[in-house]
Amino acid sequence: MSPPSTTLLTTAARAVNATKLYGQGDSAVRALDGVSVEFARGAFTAIMGPSGSGKSTLLHCLAGLDTLTSGEVYIADTPISGMSDNDLTLLRRDRLGFVFQTYNLVPTLTAAENIELPLRLAGRRADPAWFETVVGAVGLARRLRHTPAELSGGQQQRVAAARALITRPEILFADEPTGALDSRSGAELLAFLRRAADEFGQTIVMVTHDPLAAARADRVVFLADGRIVDDMIRPGADGILDAMKKLGG
Amino acid sequence: MLRVALKGLAARKLRLVLTAISIALGVSFVTGTFVLGDTMTATFDKMYSDLGQGTDVTVRGRPAFTDTTTLGSGRAMPEAVVDTVRKVPGVAAAEGGLTGYALMLDKSGTPIQPGGAPTLGVSYAQDRGLAGAIAPRAGRGPSGPGETAIDAATARKYGFAPGDRIRIVFESGKPAEFTVAGVLGFGDADNLAGATLAAFDLRTAQTVLRMEGKVDEISVRASDGISPDELRTRVAAVLPADLEAVTSATVAGEASKAVRDGLGFFTTAFLGFAGVSLLVGAFLIWNTFSILVAQRGREHALLRAIGARRRQLLGSVLTEAVAIGLLASALGLGLGLLVAGALRGLLASVGIDVPTTTIELQPRTVVAALVVGLGVTLAAALVPAWKATRIPPIAALRESAAPARTLPKGRIIAGGVLLVAGLPALAWAVAGPSRGGAAAIGSLATFLGLILLAPALVRPLVAVLGAPVARLGMAGALARQNAGRAPRRTASTATALMIGLAVVVAMTVVATSMKASVADVMERANRADLILKASSQLAAGIPADAADELRGLPEAGVVSPMRYGRIQVAGKTTSVAAVDPRTAEQVADIGVSSGSLPKLADGEVMVAADEAKTHGWRLGDEVTLRFPQTGDQVMRLAGTYTDTTLLGAGYLVTLAAHEANFSGRLDAVVLVRAAEGVPADDLKRSVRAALAGYPNVAVQDTDEFNAAQSATVDQLLGLVNVLLGLAVLIALLGVVNTLALSVLERTRELGLLRAVGMTRRQVRACVRWEAVLVAAIGSVLGTVLGLALGTAAARALADEGITVLQVPVALPLVYAVAAAAAGVLAAITPARKAAKVDVLRAVVAE
Repeated sequence: MSPPSTTLLTTAARAVNATKLYGQGDSAVRALDGVSVEFARGAFTAIMGPSGSGKSTLLHCLAGLDTLTSGEVYIADTPISGMSDNDLTLLRRDRLGFVFQTYNLVPTLTAAENIELPLRLAGRRADPAWFETVVGAVGLARRLRHTPAELSGGQQQRVAAARALITRPEILFADEPTGALDSRSGAELLAFLRRAADEFGQTIVMVTHDPLAAARADRVVFLADGRIVDDMIRPGADGILDAMKKLGG
Repeated sequence: MLRVALKGLAARKLRLVLTAISIALGVSFVTGTFVLGDTMTATFDKMYSDLGQGTDVTVRGRPAFTDTTTLGSGRAMPEAVVDTVRKVPGVAAAEGGLTGYALMLDKSGTPIQPGGAPTLGVSYAQDRGLAGAIAPRAGRGPSGPGETAIDAATARKYGFAPGDRIRIVFESGKPAEFTVAGVLGFGDADNLAGATLAAFDLRTAQTVLRMEGKVDEISVRASDGISPDELRTRVAAVLPADLEAVTSATVAGEASKAVRDGLGFFTTAFLGFAGVSLLVGAFLIWNTFSILVAQRGREHALLRAIGARRRQLLGSVLTEAVAIGLLASALGLGLGLLVAGALRGLLASVGIDVPTTTIELQPRTVVAALVVGLGVTLAAALVPAWKATRIPPIAALRESAAPARTLPKGRIIAGGVLLVAGLPALAWAVAGPSRGGAAAIGSLATFLGLILLAPALVRPLVAVLGAPVARLGMAGALARQNAGRAPRRTASTATALMIGLAVVVAMTVVATSMKASVADVMERANRADLILKASSQLAAGIPADAADELRGLPEAGVVSPMRYGRIQVAGKTTSVAAVDPRTAEQVADIGVSSGSLPKLADGEVMVAADEAKTHGWRLGDEVTLRFPQTGDQVMRLAGTYTDTTLLGAGYLVTLAAHEANFSGRLDAVVLVRAAEGVPADDLKRSVRAALAGYPNVAVQDTDEFNAAQSATVDQLLGLVNVLLGLAVLIALLGVVNTLALSVLERTRELGLLRAVGMTRRQVRACVRWEAVLVAAIGSVLGTVLGLALGTAAARALADEGITVLQVPVALPLVYAVAAAAAGVLAAITPARKAAKVDVLRAVVAE
């Protein structure tokens, strides 16, 4: 057996020449235009860009929620194009975690049940120690029996984050997770994501248009018109703002 | 606003059709019943007017009273009356005729017994002008003692042609053999409303029908220029008081009315089924509109915000209801024509052959379809539509438009009161026999109470029934939660199923008790070893000679025939039984409570104890019984009896009294008891051998009798349940509809579940289990309710012969499990839709 390449060891996900077209012929819109990017294991990466830059499309394609027109996406060393719906579903369930902007929780389930949802769908129960760790980290120990309707927006997003972590996923994808939150709740959620990266070594890919949110990441990738236009390591809020000005966003 | 409503409709074609079908099925039953009834009435009207052609006035015995059971059984008159009538000025022709019982045998000796129709033996009119539309199609009319002419239908079906020999059974005597002289047609028809007919010349008819020197009808034709009414007046003037003259129009009218009355029971039954399915359909409509209104809350609020008035909003929702109602009416009308055909087949399968020529679609039927389809739909949609108008414009701006709905207090109180009143009433009805009032009120109150309270029962029922489902995994757990999520929606969906199933189960309880009662009567009151009756359930009876034949048999210790008739007492029509007083007590125990059955004389009557009490009669009182042919007869009350179950009649006279007052000479039943020391099997063998010449007599021991009775009840129950199955089917359509709408409502939630790892298979399982749970709730409620109502009904019918209450267990259980399992079928389409939800669109914020 040949040893795995170093790329595969350190890369959690990568896109190779990812292209996504909406519509057909002359009226086709290029949402992604040959994007190649790698996401290192253990890193917290933010994807930024103006509206229509293709950042959400890139995230959805990386996460197996959407399919590319051409190119390839790998989760670790697994190419995902051509996977059946069932295989993609199992991939999402067992290897990925999600936090969406809104509507993250099943309204009939309690916070605890929502957190356990991916495991229960797989017919497993949560490891009690890990469950306690995650719940403690998001500060929800006293709210576990509440239904989503009884929780604030910030609490709901933290439940969603806890659910995303409960399976110890290879990558946690977050799509504008703070977009619908007030600034204090948003800051709390970002603090939690940061801790997840630092303390649990969790790989995180987050789409955001908020420079303050992106500033908590290790790396910021800028997209415009479906192409990567900038890629910075720990740029800080000021660096991000400068880059955004350059993009005219 | 009309365009808004219509566009809304076009966007939801499938649901529209599904909803319309639920009502259309009920409508089709209404129209089908009407179409069949009208068609049959038209057919019979035409037939009777054809038969009356050429006859202006009919002379017949004046009946003391008439109803469907006495029609055509006029008293015979001396043949001399014919001459009297012939001499009346203005009479061009007059001819006497006779109608009686003649059962033809096919070439293998099996009786030719049509379903419910009679087997007629008639005299053949010599004056062809008075024969109406009856004419030979082949051969010629019968002439002389050895000849007959038979109806074309019998000739065709059983292969008889002129010149063939045919054997015919009469009310008395062994089968006699005749030569078929001709085959008769009846205008366009091959027979008379399904009856078989053997015609003889008048002399022969008088002989075989035992009516020597008599006729029972005189057909009279007027000379030119004399109107039927004028002739009737002239003829009536020469008749004795016990005879009457009527015009042909009157005769035809009476006959048609008799046919309609005879169909009345079936019309009522079919309309009853239509009612059940419409009720179930109404629930479906109510439910669909409630969900639609809830879903469109924001749309309605927006319309209100931009200036739509409440009335316009109401109009827009009701427009949708009108469209669905119209579609349902149209579909129902079309289906109704098919249903009419199916019902005709159904009647034929229970032995009621209906000749139909062309389908009658009368304006009234179309109006009924419209009124029922539109009316039920609108009525069911009214409350949801009204609720739509209550939405505040501000709701358009809120994130969630459908607030959690709690059950109104008024509804809980009303439902509670009805249950509190209904359950004790039911218990009271079950506790004692024949408490019909309590049973009816209790049933209705319990039924309505349960409908009102059903939403409150959903959560606990889901918790219990869903417990095993939840253990199957996340899909099951979610299904359980979803089923309990909108209790009112789940409740009204389940209620529809509950109604259908409750009626089915209640029917089963009554039928099972009926069978047990028959067996019980045989066990308790019957002392005979053999029961002889006509081999066809629908035949009039067996020749009296069969009993005579057995009296000479050494194995037969006691042979006791029973006959029946209809009489009126104090204006009410009831049954009278006739027995041989000397032998009756040796074969049957009727619980004589006063007087003595063996001493019953011909001018005396015994009366059921309850009946005597009702009328305030005492032993020795003079009681007036009105017989249809002989009028009022005063008889002395000679005794009372308590057990009417075996007899099935509240009045009992001697056979001689029966013969004096009724023209029929057939025995309904002959009870036979073995002579001392003769084993039952030997008796049966020798009785069967002795009656070899009577092919239409069935010889049954008590076990065989019970089995035959059970089979009849089962057949009827099967028929009823097939019809009620329709209502259950509609209820299952309701499950489909509700689930489809729920899936639509939960698009985002389903997308989220799919995003975090729920497989399509799991999504389908989740929807499927939800359907099963909803159906199971309906099944449980329906079965429990059905058992309660059926038990009360069976107890209430104690006077009608259901003396034993037997609650079936297995059958209702099978129904309940089957109905719940049918939820799987109902879930197929919604589950597929749920599994196809676009994950991305569901989770991406709008």
